[in-house]
Amino acid sequence: MNSILGRIGIFCALLLRYLKATLGRIGMVCALLVLVFTCFAWRLIYLQVLRHDYFTEIAEEKHSIRLTIPARRGRILDRHGEELAVNIPVQMVYADGSHIHDPAAVAAVAAPFLEMPLQELKEKLTTKSKYVIIRKGVSEEKAQDMIRALDKANLHGLYLQEGSVRSYPNGEMLCDVLGYVDYTGHGADGIEKTYDTELRGQEGFRWIEHDRKGREIVVYRGQEQLPENGSDIRLSIDMGLQAIAEREVDEAYKTNHPASATAILADPNTGEILALASRPNYDPNKFNKAKPDEMRNRAISDIYEPGSVFKIVVTSAAYNEGIVDDETRIFCENGHFSYGGKTIKDHHGSGDLSIPEILMKSSNIGAAKISLLMKDQMFYDYVRKFGFGTRTGIPLPGEIPGQVIPPHRWDKLTKTRVAFGQSISVTPIQMVMAMSAIANGGKLLKPKLVLSKGEGSAVLPDAPVAQVVKPESANYIANALERVVSNQGTAPLARIEGYRVAGKTGTAQKISPHGGYLEGRYIVSFAGFFPVNKPKVMGIVIVDDAKLGESANYGGSVAGPVFSTIGSKAARYLDMDPEPDAFLVKEKQGASRTAVSAR
Amino acid sequence: MSLNRRRTTNTIEVNFLAGWLVIVFLIGLCGLFFVYLKNQQHAVGNQSRQIEASIQEEEVRDEALKAKITSMTSRGALQRRLDEGYLTLEAIRDTAIARVTPPSPAEVDGVMRTASRDPENRFGPGVPQRAVNR
Repeated sequence: MNSILGRIGIFCALLLRYLKATLGRIGMVCALLVLVFTCFAWRLIYLQVLRHDYFTEIAEEKHSIRLTIPARRGRILDRHGEELAVNIPVQMVYADGSHIHDPAAVAAVAAPFLEMPLQELKEKLTTKSKYVIIRKGVSEEKAQDMIRALDKANLHGLYLQEGSVRSYPNGEMLCDVLGYVDYTGHGADGIEKTYDTELRGQEGFRWIEHDRKGREIVVYRGQEQLPENGSDIRLSIDMGLQAIAEREVDEAYKTNHPASATAILADPNTGEILALASRPNYDPNKFNKAKPDEMRNRAISDIYEPGSVFKIVVTSAAYNEGIVDDETRIFCENGHFSYGGKTIKDHHGSGDLSIPEILMKSSNIGAAKISLLMKDQMFYDYVRKFGFGTRTGIPLPGEIPGQVIPPHRWDKLTKTRVAFGQSISVTPIQMVMAMSAIANGGKLLKPKLVLSKGEGSAVLPDAPVAQVVKPESANYIANALERVVSNQGTAPLARIEGYRVAGKTGTAQKISPHGGYLEGRYIVSFAGFFPVNKPKVMGIVIVDDAKLGESANYGGSVAGPVFSTIGSKAARYLDMDPEPDAFLVKEKQGASRTAVSAR
Repeated sequence: MSLNRRRTTNTIEVNFLAGWLVIVFLIGLCGLFFVYLKNQQHAVGNQSRQIEASIQEEEVRDEALKAKITSMTSRGALQRRLDEGYLTLEAIRDTAIARVTPPSPAEVDGVMRTASRDPENRFGPGVPQRAVNR
């Protein structure tokens, strides 16, 4: 090393001597200056040209940042534009430790606005880190007041970052449909989850450069893409009807103390879901406090044995195939029918009954005997055509298809039991759509919950329709179901003053988790529609395990009155014209509403 | 000879110098103007940033107020006020409701009714164009 330096030194000395000899003193100084400036020039070329990309990258890293511009989440509206889910702007407060000189003073000013203990805040502020999240979800007003107070005290170090929280102004109402948004801002249940992509939109960005204090230098603003705000989703839900359904379900829940209660209203002509209420439920604003049982959407994720409501399937199928007709009489064995080593019982024994009478009296034996007139595969096909064993396709997460046993796994009794709603599990929404098929002339519709996505977008086209039974078969059964709410039927308490109602009760024993049935515990239901000749509203009410005596726990006496109340209020709300025929029927039958005696 | 040499050496060429001075002055002026423009650009940029921030602040405030209005006028809130007695509901007796003749479908009498809630009664299938234009 020393030898190299020595040689360089000798070379320089010889060079100086040569220059001095040839150029003189002035020339030597000039040559030195040229040499120095040549070095500078070379260094500049090196920095500006040869390493240009490298240093540009470093500079960009240091000064340029990609600023995310959040997209506003779309709102959820009811069919009339009432807001069901909105965004509330909030601020996230963060600290830059390098700007805080007196943590105690900053904490003393900010603590009341942040609603935090002074000591805790002081500890958080005692940091050198440039980004410490102090508190999320601070209201806009409080955050701005805090910044003003800090400015007034000439204190710095706390900054705001804009955000928003999802709010459901109606609280618990319609929680099963709406769902909620989790902490990450993603839909976690209900419509919020199904339409998360549409609601969320697309966030934008902007490349900016900032000065030493972190302020944007607008002159050097780079590439920019504006955010696409999320689309508003307009539901088919009518909040007027929803409020009616919620109130009545709540009343039934408090009165009968069941494990759960559910009500669904739909338009049988379009498949639009108008209301969906169930208890227990939860407040999506406080989803973290809800219990799993409260968060289950019973309309689509609970299966139950429908009981006698299912008789509409076997009767309409047999009538549609011409196996039974207006003249058919089925002998109902006076209430006890031994078949396959078991006895099928009716609540009240009867002799010969027509098809409408079988429905009116809810004869299990009648329904079982009709099923025996049909081939296994044919009966099974009708069950599937009515939509059982298949998801309806309602746009909500967690729908289950129910359980339908295929014919090759049937024993001798299965078909007869399926005929009156045992040995089969369905969801409430499936039952609604099946009953709607009877109401609308035999068309099975896909339930429709969303009318439009995005402002100004066209109403989404109707769901595909399947013709399950001929219109005349559906009308025959619909007219027969009208007798169910007569005084001779099982649900006179389900009548609605001024309107002709058709419907069917269901009373099914609860299945034991250990096999068999639970003694004295029932799932009771009533599914019906009105007005009969031009149905506008279809509804189902299901009450699971009401705490009533066995003698009082029937579909007609528990679910029927709830349906009646909801129906009468809905008719008034929808300003439906009363039917003169309905008043005549009432006068003939008398106004008294006697206790229900049949299931 | 030597005098001539001295005169040549000491001559100040004013025109030449003035020309350069003007060029230097103009270049300097351009530089100052460039700096002025740059400063103006930054000042305008800052102004636009502040305006953007204030617009955003107003938007946020507007959204917050809208959300507040929504929550105060929601069904739950109104029901609570109703229960607390701040609001009351008056039932309208049937005798106090004047019902216009029950609307019949347009295809029956060819009249399109504008004030009916049932769309079928306004625009029935097969309604002649003449009737629609009434």
